[in-house]
Amino acid sequence: MIIAETKGVTKSYREGRETFRVLDGIDFSLQRGEIVALEGPSGSGKTTLLSILGCILSPTDGEIRIEGRTIGPRADLNAVRKQSIGFVFQQYNLFPALSARENVEFALNVKGMTGGPARREAERAMDLVGLTDRKEFLPRDLSGGQKQRVAIARALAGSPPILLADEPTANLDTQNGAQILGLFRDLVRRENRALLVVTHDPQVRSFADRVVRIRDGRLLPELDPAIGQ
Amino acid sequence: MVDLARKNLLHDKLRFTITVLGVAFAVTLVLFQVGLFLGLLDNASVIIEHVQADLWITPRNTANVDFSKTFPETRVHRVRSVPGVERADNLIVAYVDVSLPSGSQEGALCYAVENFKTWGLPWDWQGSDPDDLRRGPYVMIDAHSEQRFGPFEVGEYREFLDRRMKIIGKTNGANTFTTMPVTFMDLRTIQELIPDRYEGQSTYILVKLAPGANLEAVRAEIQSRLPYNDVYTRREWADQSRAYWIKSTGLGFTMGLTVFLGCLVGIVIVAQTLYTSTMEHLREFGTLKAIGGSNGFIYRILTRQALISGVVGFVLGAVPVYLLRPLIAQGGMKLIIPNDFGLFVMLGTLLMCVAASMVSFRKVASIDPALVFRG
Repeated sequence: MIIAETKGVTKSYREGRETFRVLDGIDFSLQRGEIVALEGPSGSGKTTLLSILGCILSPTDGEIRIEGRTIGPRADLNAVRKQSIGFVFQQYNLFPALSARENVEFALNVKGMTGGPARREAERAMDLVGLTDRKEFLPRDLSGGQKQRVAIARALAGSPPILLADEPTANLDTQNGAQILGLFRDLVRRENRALLVVTHDPQVRSFADRVVRIRDGRLLPELDPAIGQ
Repeated sequence: MVDLARKNLLHDKLRFTITVLGVAFAVTLVLFQVGLFLGLLDNASVIIEHVQADLWITPRNTANVDFSKTFPETRVHRVRSVPGVERADNLIVAYVDVSLPSGSQEGALCYAVENFKTWGLPWDWQGSDPDDLRRGPYVMIDAHSEQRFGPFEVGEYREFLDRRMKIIGKTNGANTFTTMPVTFMDLRTIQELIPDRYEGQSTYILVKLAPGANLEAVRAEIQSRLPYNDVYTRREWADQSRAYWIKSTGLGFTMGLTVFLGCLVGIVIVAQTLYTSTMEHLREFGTLKAIGGSNGFIYRILTRQALISGVVGFVLGAVPVYLLRPLIAQGGMKLIIPNDFGLFVMLGTLLMCVAASMVSFRKVASIDPALVFRG
């Protein structure tokens, strides 16, 4: 079942008198329960595509559908993000003054969930990522892998069906990276969510169901993750 | 709800300390400056407020109760004959030189009438009855004068203009804007002490109205009979005496400038620390926006940070001022902080902090949530 898709999405930027086309007619879809790796060199447009799918940016042209709804130019993108999308970032972006559990709970507060339900949901998410025993630790007292787990718990909290991850293993060593990817895979399968991972990391391929490549704003033919070529 | 504002502030304790000390400094400065100024202004009119006169008749264009000119004392008869006037008496306010036991001299302001108790002067004293002042070369001196005269007791003597006078009472609360010593003696005594200036002369006429008399009608009638004098109600005369010090001396401007600078320092410190904190958390705020937080949501966090800083800073700034009041009183100064002024300063402090946090609003509004995808 397709949960997010783009049809003919184009994104252009003006810089002075020149117009740069960052995405050029992208047709892409993401299904429940699958993990898609998005690869491409720097400047190829992969982060822009992630931002458009995440309803952070609006496309210049084309159509986006999230959970079957067309996201038009007047759509409340904040509301779509709160309801449907969880983000994981390369830099974790945790509030240093909040404990691990509070970082997750605060994200739920932003989404409108407060009090006991938010706390319980945050603890459930911490449990899902295996950090129950460190939930009251401040980010400075956690390792890189643990911080990324907190970031994943934050993305999972509130059960958004779509997870978008930007280089989630870039700051981790191979062992921690593998653990995070394994965690992603378990969660996506168990909770029937969809995950799009933007990456340069070759080991992500082996965890993905599909590998999508982008170059100069256009999608290339998909790779077979098992072959890796 | 997770209290991000409070936790963010307390996470960097040094910065928080600097912020609240900045606010506290501004609060202390404003409360001290204005409190002392209000204390001095209260001194400027405290005697007028206590004299039980409905009207004050002054020499024309007299700016202030302390700076009086003279007019013939017989004018009081014209006032006494005005319908509606129950009682009218002369009052002389004069500068006198006082020789101290140390051999030095100090100036003092002397209030002289014939019937002190009729006019409620002085209103707080120890020693003999004020009406005894007329029985000889006697004087009453206000306790605050010890700052300049040194300690004195009832029954001792001091030389006023080379005339030995017995202190028959010590009064409390009678003061002047300049904190010059205040003394009380009989009208005839002061006229004898300084005959060149006050024999047959007066500086003010105090008027008490008969019950039911129309104040404005009586005032108009007195004014028509004494065209070379001014006639004020007690409230008007007190206001004018205070306004003199505010407007004519530049003290009001100086105090206003100090208050302004205090507020400016507070605003700059709060704005600077909140802005730095916001800049350091740009990525986190970008994350908030990425996961659906609106600008308004983040503004509320920043505003709450500002309000917490304001409340803590106000308490830190105000408590020492209130605690130091007795100490200041021992130094002969009054620190008057009316409750509504305290409330005004508190609200002003909070407003100042919120205004300072607005510097950060613009930065937050300009955060592109896509920032979080940039490594």
